[in-house]
Amino acid sequence: MATTTATFTLSSTDLLSDELALSTTCTLTQTTTSTGVEDTTGLNRKKITSTAKGTASGQVTLYTADDFAAIPYLYIKNLATTAGHRIYVYDDTTSGDPIQFQLDAGDWGFIPMHGDKTYKAYASNNPTSVEFMVTGKDQ
Amino acid sequence: MATTTAAVTLTSDLMSTNMSVSASTTCMKAGTTADGLDQMEYGYLDLPTGDEYDLIATTPTATKASKLYLKNHSTDETYYVAITQNAQAIGKLYGGDWMFIPADFHDAAGDIAITANGGTNKICYALFHEGTVLVTT
Repeated sequence: MATTTATFTLSSTDLLSDELALSTTCTLTQTTTSTGVEDTTGLNRKKITSTAKGTASGQVTLYTADDFAAIPYLYIKNLATTAGHRIYVYDDTTSGDPIQFQLDAGDWGFIPMHGDKTYKAYASNNPTSVEFMVTGKDQ
Repeated sequence: MATTTAAVTLTSDLMSTNMSVSASTTCMKAGTTADGLDQMEYGYLDLPTGDEYDLIATTPTATKASKLYLKNHSTDETYYVAITQNAQAIGKLYGGDWMFIPADFHDAAGDIAITANGGTNKICYALFHEGTVLVTT
């Protein structure tokens, strides 16, 4: 069985009066089991050229609904280096395409998703590069 | 300015060669690389089943930067916390799972709501932000 782990580290020496340090690791498993996830999209790097949702092209599809069984884990990073160059992740399955996450330059996110919604990304600037990967169990 | 660093490392032997992905970011205020987020809210609590609860008691200011860390500390792998933002389901955290999301929790409806499933879940969260709209008594 494959073992996939995600480790989160948070640190600050000056946000609080004392040092802040947090580290946690989870093993990515198939839902309600201790069996490790088996599939991944692999690491992707793509250019987003759309600056709006709902337009015909230029958005990047991060995940297609029901591609994986629950729970698919999404890792995403905005590779832009200029502040204010944002990536907007929206739910393309739900009416109105609600925006779910916003990543400014350099930001990353890690989200255990429901798996039943298609996620797409557009950006404030054309082009903006995004790095992403989904890990889970294919179905 | 405060400097708060959030990092992730993903490792796996899923592929024919070992995979390791790392990313790190300094949590900044919206639209700048010169001024870090300087306010935080932190909690560790029991989340009973039955109702949906607002995780964030106060609402971060609209169009400002917010980063949310949330972990389910339940040890039963069948327990999970369903997470919605602006009434849209965005994820499920089973026992042991964590998430980190940069988002714009722009109003009372746009913040994060959580629902426990399977039993009382223990959760830990940290919200880094640059201002909230306080609720008057």
